[in-house]
Amino acid sequence: MSSGKTLGEVLRDQGVSRRGFLKFCTAMASMMALPPGSVAAVAAALEKARRPSVIWLSFQECTGCTESLTRSHTPTLEGLILGQVSLDYHHTLQAASGTAAEHARMQAMKENHGKYLVVVDGSLPLGNPGYSTIAGISNVEMLKETVEGAAAVIAVGSCAAFGGIPMAQPNPTGAVSVSQIVKDRPVVNVPGCPPIPVVITGVLAHFLTFGGLPELDELGRPLAFYGDTIHDRCYRRPFYDQGLFAESFDDEGARKGWCLFKVGCKGPVTHNACATTKWNDGTSFPIESGHGCLGCSEPNFWDAGSFYKPLSAPTGTINQVAAGAALGGVAAGAAVAWHNRKIRGEARAKHEPVTLDDLEKSS
Amino acid sequence: MSATHEKGMQAFRSVMDAPIASFFASCVHCGLCAEACLFYTETGDPKYTPIYKLEPLKKFWRREYTLVGKLMGLVGIGATVRDKELAEWSELVYDSCTMCGRCSMVCPVGNDLTYMIRKMREGMAVAGHAPDGLRGATQRAIELGSPMGVKLETLQAQIRHQEKDTGLKVPLDAEGADYMVLLSSMETVNFPEYIGALARIFDKAGVSWTIASEAFEATNSGIQIGVSDLAKVLVQRIVDAAERLKVKYVISPECGHAYTALRWEGPNLIGKPYTFEVVHILELLEQLKRAGRLRTSGKDERKITFHDPCQIVRRGGVLQQPRELLGSVAADFREMPDGGVMNWCCGGGGGVSANDRAEELRLKAFNRKKRQVEATGAGTLVTACANCRIVLEEGLEHNEMNIEVVGLTELIAEYLTDDQPAAAGGEA
Repeated sequence: MSSGKTLGEVLRDQGVSRRGFLKFCTAMASMMALPPGSVAAVAAALEKARRPSVIWLSFQECTGCTESLTRSHTPTLEGLILGQVSLDYHHTLQAASGTAAEHARMQAMKENHGKYLVVVDGSLPLGNPGYSTIAGISNVEMLKETVEGAAAVIAVGSCAAFGGIPMAQPNPTGAVSVSQIVKDRPVVNVPGCPPIPVVITGVLAHFLTFGGLPELDELGRPLAFYGDTIHDRCYRRPFYDQGLFAESFDDEGARKGWCLFKVGCKGPVTHNACATTKWNDGTSFPIESGHGCLGCSEPNFWDAGSFYKPLSAPTGTINQVAAGAALGGVAAGAAVAWHNRKIRGEARAKHEPVTLDDLEKSS
Repeated sequence: MSATHEKGMQAFRSVMDAPIASFFASCVHCGLCAEACLFYTETGDPKYTPIYKLEPLKKFWRREYTLVGKLMGLVGIGATVRDKELAEWSELVYDSCTMCGRCSMVCPVGNDLTYMIRKMREGMAVAGHAPDGLRGATQRAIELGSPMGVKLETLQAQIRHQEKDTGLKVPLDAEGADYMVLLSSMETVNFPEYIGALARIFDKAGVSWTIASEAFEATNSGIQIGVSDLAKVLVQRIVDAAERLKVKYVISPECGHAYTALRWEGPNLIGKPYTFEVVHILELLEQLKRAGRLRTSGKDERKITFHDPCQIVRRGGVLQQPRELLGSVAADFREMPDGGVMNWCCGGGGGVSANDRAEELRLKAFNRKKRQVEATGAGTLVTACANCRIVLEEGLEHNEMNIEVVGLTELIAEYLTDDQPAAAGGEA
């Protein structure tokens, strides 16, 4: 239940110092790409924020997203602050079960009508409602009922955000994403399989600070975390630029830590924060461990061809138009290059030896 | 004939090669080069960001070498590079860049900014925007044979002094010698003991050497001001003398840009391979030491640190040799923070020390070196470039620091021994 205490009070009760709290606010401000001056504003808002009620719904999922969240390395502040939102319903984490659990959800919805947050992980089956039910209620029905009084919905993980693995071909349950069902409430997508824990807490902090949702990209993802591709921020990027690639997972290039593009890294088309925030308390991320990015935070990543096939390899057959366009591009490039060489060549042909007199302007 | 804006633009056009085009195209505007430049770190003024110093050249590239720029030019929109702009950039290209190459090292996309500045100076010089000091030095180099106006007579007088001090002969125009020694005029005038040191070392090591009366100057002002045609004249002088004296090697002195000019740019400037090999004096000394021909005994007890000249360590790759040499004579050697390939420039390379207009800025930039030296706690600063040496001495003097500056070759010469290898048990 959400208590009357503010977040600042709760944190102090937990023995979190003012310094620790401000450090967290600074980290959050920088994660959300806010100017440094906003730290004080973030701190002031978080200090006064009432603990919001959060209802967490899990549908067709593997619990990986919840596992990710619980790995936020307590007692780091991310972990603590999440403990301090009032998580009123989460059927993996809550102690209550059966009727008592459903009662808790109903009560939270009633008491915080219009103000609570709904977090969803997992996709929703549109086929037979019996594919996934909780307390006899089908997933779609429960979602519709719960978002009724919600301030916003956060779709955590690729299944909730884009349908994920349940929706992969041939999609036996007719799975869909949250945003395909919820049309009249703001939906934030926090994709990833699983998503980075700090990204979930970042969105919550933004909501508490500004009373609204962060700026989103065209796929509903917070720009602060999904604005850049993995490739943009990858520490192996210089090797890509120099054309140094691992050709297999056990060759010299792989041992030297060269770019994994040719062994299928999807970093160049994947928007996520793995390369900057990393995983497990900033320890590492897949590319740092020697494996290419799978692209798990992009829609339909499971159906986008082999994980080990380079992005540049066509997934289907290249059609004539594309081939023609490519040839045209090459020809245009060659024409520009030829013209540039001509400009330079002419300039060099016209060159007369420079003498000392050429160094001073006659006035 | 005189400098004109059109000549400058023509020069920009002819230096625009594939590397420069791809460097401009691949710049990601990250600004990392700013923090690598001592003129930026010591002034905090963003105009000293290395890539910004290239702005007119970049603008020119965009206008004449990119598809969008060409199309915009056709319909008469987009900016062209104006003479006023070049005048404004003269300070950025000549005063606040020593072509030390530190920015090229940190660029995440591998842009060689130093290479571009070098090329940009080609256009700046013929557009009439080279600083007076550098222009005077170039004129003296071409007309008198040395940027400081040192003539053969001056050198001969210094040689006589050194011969008297050491009791050894300094060979002049000795045909068939193995090594031809070059000097920077800074050495001839300010540090002639370098000549004496060479005479002593080569005598002990049994090296046959000579100085050429027609080409004793190593400094290449043509490279510094950015005129390849004049740089070529200066390189050709050395090549002619070396060929006439039939030497196998030409030794670049303790001077940074001279080494770059002769070793890396020279053959391209004259358009054919050398008939001899160019070695830096430190490379040769280290070779001699390894071969057991250069033997020293005793160690210097002073607290010694080493300033790596940019052109030698960073652009030239001579990193290990000075440390090997110092290791054999210094008892208390202290590496500077950032020493080695990422060492900070003294602030006077690339023609900046010949450019009086830049003096105030140069002394400000010296604060970086001051802090670096202070961090070591050393009282003796060894270096291997006569230009660095004079700039360091001036900087230390300006800051009233009681630190002596010594050339590495001279330091080695102090500890030479007569012991034959068999008898030299204690010396490794």
